Amino acid sequence: MNKKIFIVSLILMFIFMFSLVEVEAFSLFDLFRRTETITLWDIRTPEDPARAAVEDAIARFEEDHDNIEIEHVPIQNDDYKTRLSVAAAADDEPDIFMTWGGGGLKNYVDEGMVYDITAYLEEDNWRDNFLDAAMNNSTFEGKTYGVPVTNVAPAVIWYREDMFAEYDLTPPETYEELLEIIEVFKENDIVPFTLANQNRWPGSMYYMYFVDRLAGPEVYRAAVSPDMAGSFTDEPFIEAGQMIRDLVEMDAFPAGLNAMNEDDGDSRTMLYTKDAGMYLMGSWAYSTIGMEDEITQEQLNFFPFPSIEGADGTTSGIVGTVGDNFYSVAEKCENKEMAVEFLRYLTDEKAKQELLAVGNIPPISGVADDLDDPMLQSIFRVVEEAESSQLWYDQDLPPEIAQVHLNQLQGLFGGDVTPEEKAQAMADAIEDYYAD
Amino acid sequence: MEKINSDKKRIINNILKSNGFFAFLFLLPAFFFFTLYLLAPIPLSGYYSLLRWSGVGEGVFIGLNNWSRLIRDSTFWLAVGNNFKLVFLSLLIQLPTALFLAVVLTSKIKLDKFFKTVYFFPMLLSTVAIGVIWGYIYNPNVGLLNNFLEAVGLEHLILDWLGSRRYAIYSTIVAICWRFVPFHMILYIAGIVGIPEQLYEAAEIDGANAWVSFRHITLPQLKTVIKNSVVLSIVGSLKIFAEIFVMTGGGPNHASEVMATYMYTTSFDSYRMGYGSTIAVSLFLIAFSVSLIFLYLTRKKQ
Repeated sequence: MNKKIFIVSLILMFIFMFSLVEVEAFSLFDLFRRTETITLWDIRTPEDPARAAVEDAIARFEEDHDNIEIEHVPIQNDDYKTRLSVAAAADDEPDIFMTWGGGGLKNYVDEGMVYDITAYLEEDNWRDNFLDAAMNNSTFEGKTYGVPVTNVAPAVIWYREDMFAEYDLTPPETYEELLEIIEVFKENDIVPFTLANQNRWPGSMYYMYFVDRLAGPEVYRAAVSPDMAGSFTDEPFIEAGQMIRDLVEMDAFPAGLNAMNEDDGDSRTMLYTKDAGMYLMGSWAYSTIGMEDEITQEQLNFFPFPSIEGADGTTSGIVGTVGDNFYSVAEKCENKEMAVEFLRYLTDEKAKQELLAVGNIPPISGVADDLDDPMLQSIFRVVEEAESSQLWYDQDLPPEIAQVHLNQLQGLFGGDVTPEEKAQAMADAIEDYYAD
Repeated sequence: MEKINSDKKRIINNILKSNGFFAFLFLLPAFFFFTLYLLAPIPLSGYYSLLRWSGVGEGVFIGLNNWSRLIRDSTFWLAVGNNFKLVFLSLLIQLPTALFLAVVLTSKIKLDKFFKTVYFFPMLLSTVAIGVIWGYIYNPNVGLLNNFLEAVGLEHLILDWLGSRRYAIYSTIVAICWRFVPFHMILYIAGIVGIPEQLYEAAEIDGANAWVSFRHITLPQLKTVIKNSVVLSIVGSLKIFAEIFVMTGGGPNHASEVMATYMYTTSFDSYRMGYGSTIAVSLFLIAFSVSLIFLYLTRKKQ
């Protein structure tokens, strides 16, 4: 018995010692190498089609600068936001990090965490490299804090051509026509719109489009402005909420939508199995679906969110991003020069080609000429012809208001929040935010 | 001089010989980390709870504003309510089930080793894996549960388990109970094994049936073990996080929110670290005082 205990403790001791040795070996190794490391955090996990472009930029950068190594740490979407905020709270943020621009990035900028790269963009006209509208969401009070790398991505309504053919449907121009399509799908026991709303932001797309089509993008700007020129209790927001309620009540969405997970693909799978007819999602869905189910991708087509007859809003405005995934340099980065230099690799001609190869349109000027894929061309056309573009509310809003927006909308879809309650909660959150 | 020297030697020898000194020495590193990671953050969170702070940069001191906000925050009270639902249902479901299994598995049945292993299984899985698995079981479209109900003709029982406001919290509670039953079961098995066999033999001679010997031997003998497991269950239920976070994230629209998930989303999604700390401190205070009350009440009875 004693012998057994002795042996077990001996083994445990060895394991413990090995774990120490390994850690030691690594740090010693690092000491002798004398290379400099720049840490980079983003969401380019192996499942992300855009990963290749970033990896390639890193490889090219390291080849040109042999004393610098880029330590790339990709983290999955929702976890990423948390990891970054935890790191920031601990004053331990990476040298280069990715955000979605808007309120989220501004939060970090306000705390002096992000390096102002305006000067770099002005010299040798680097700024001209990007689409005009692309930089808006990383520029605050005339200073730019990040470069957009991926995703000229409007939200559009995806559908399967074979299903539309089967039920003799054509893409609708107006909302009334869309309602007719919904009826046809329902009659054939098909869920009209697939929607995985556990993540909350997919449902938000309907709300944003309804507001945009009902009253245009100005009402949102007015509602979020500090002088409170408008309010989330204004008519268009309540009506948009009501239109979502109407859709839910006519069973336009799958039952249990609030328990379905977009990251797990619960929504898209219903398209693959022909259990659902349409899918309102950012244009990245095209490459995601291509990775998951090629048969569906072959049948895939889209139409822009239809206009609402008689409403004052836009007919062709887009909700989405004209350039997304902004890469920024941290104020505490020790080699800002080189970090910015890397951002150039990330947004150069080669990176553009890599992204296009996987169906992601980067916000680089002249990108239209490089689009071979007809689907990408038509996506880009939607963006070009759009009379306005509205960034996702949840990325544009300050984080604490964004959370109220998302939670209230989830409640609205679930039926326990009325459009008026949602509107009031938003107005309260805005007031609260500017009060402190 | 020599005398003083030898006195010194003796004192040093005494210190070295006494167990207390070595115990102190060996406990020192553990105590250091315990202080650094467990004790120190408590007053620190208390301080943060007085700030308006996004988590980055400097916070602004706002006195008790966060606390007065907390008292008026209906979401927080909803979360507290959910925590106590979990406490109540855990005590009601988890512990009796665990006790029942423990008694059955120690009563010399066939294949007891096999069943012990099987019932212990949930304890071996990582918490996140359990959350994901149960998430799939409850999935409204491809989920095991709804498909099973459909297959056996119980369509009317099909529910949106995690997505509906009314059922979400109860669905997560079932999964949490499933996960923790084996933990308490092992505690009870260890307790039952420690009860002297003679007590049961004597009872048998006196003509006691299984229920009577359970009621008058097993239960009283397990008193301390049960008390411990009740405290563990209460505290565990109050600070539950990962299972619920993985399954529902506290949603839909806060319906399955508990204090810990609310603390987390407030701090790291809404970037309100100050208010998040307020929730954290009140979670600590609630869990601490509930367990104190329970310990006090049970001590009186003895």
